[in-house]
Amino acid sequence: MTQETSDKKWFDQLVMELRLRQVHGSAIGDTVASARELLGDTGQRAEEAFGPARDYAAALELPAAPKHDWIRTALWPSLLGLLAFLLFNQAVVSWTRSELLLVSPAQAAFLATPVVLVALLPFYLDAVVRRIRVCVALAAACAVAGILSAVVTPTNQAEAWLSMDPLPWVVGSALVMVALSITNAVRSSRPGSADDVTDPLSGTADGTGTGARLMVQVTDWLFPLLALAMLGLALSFR
Amino acid sequence: MDVPSADRPTPGSVDWPSDWLRATLGLLALRALSAGPSYGYAIISELERHGFGTIKGGTLYPLLSRYETAGLVTTEWRAGDGGPGRKYFALTDQGRAELTRLCADWRRFADTSTGYLDPERLTKETPA
Repeated sequence: MTQETSDKKWFDQLVMELRLRQVHGSAIGDTVASARELLGDTGQRAEEAFGPARDYAAALELPAAPKHDWIRTALWPSLLGLLAFLLFNQAVVSWTRSELLLVSPAQAAFLATPVVLVALLPFYLDAVVRRIRVCVALAAACAVAGILSAVVTPTNQAEAWLSMDPLPWVVGSALVMVALSITNAVRSSRPGSADDVTDPLSGTADGTGTGARLMVQVTDWLFPLLALAMLGLALSFR
Repeated sequence: MDVPSADRPTPGSVDWPSDWLRATLGLLALRALSAGPSYGYAIISELERHGFGTIKGGTLYPLLSRYETAGLVTTEWRAGDGGPGRKYFALTDQGRAELTRLCADWRRFADTSTGYLDPERLTKETPA
């Protein structure tokens, strides 16, 4: 049981390390299956046979996608989704209260903080993935920035830097979130996606169970779902 | 290439300097594939049976992976009989040519080294 647990942890780390190296999902599936094959033959523990997962992933030197390809395919759409979600949150409260959308410089700076932190992710992604403390600190910084942006929200037009009709911003940001979610959902439902870790013999993707599929769908529609929740809250507290 | 159960090697029977193994493992792995397609454990067992000690998967697979990228070996997954599937490695024509070249080079290197390390020559060259 302990061996199974430690091997599971080792394989999870191996998949994560190969993903960080932008290795194609089918090559990750092949690597995992061949490692399992040898462990089945020798009865060894994964760490004993292959050494640390990080070193093994590096030693394999598997062909990988261009280093910054994920920035174009994953980071920019996520960033746009986050930006749309933050704009929606600001605009929807004003809209439900039939008020103008008021923005101050301090509020804009606090709202931009999570966007900037996510945009700079390529510089510290390894640290976020490998050290839970960095991940918690990042989440905390985003949460604090969100709270502070609410604190410094202008209460009247004199304090505001910008005052706008909130409806176009509500509609525009909602459309952006829905369009991005549809794109993500279409991409993740396409068979043979580069992200799928596929078994080399059966060709089936890892994690094709109902729970895993539901999780992928929830992730694809995360911003619209959260925006709906925000709309519900704004309507309740107006 | 299957591993005959009666021919199982004795683990850790030989302990060569790791530098020597690191330098020659590529040639030895190509040689282990010269008889036909084989899989990870069978290659490890073949090398162990011939006195090279126990090669770890963490050493062998990265080497084979690089050879696959270089076009020296191809791979194919075959379903096991009631067991897990196996990844078979096979020499390509390029791999076979590389093995022939490396074998010839190795023989020349081994002859040169053996001649230089010859105890008689060593005695003759040692100043009185």
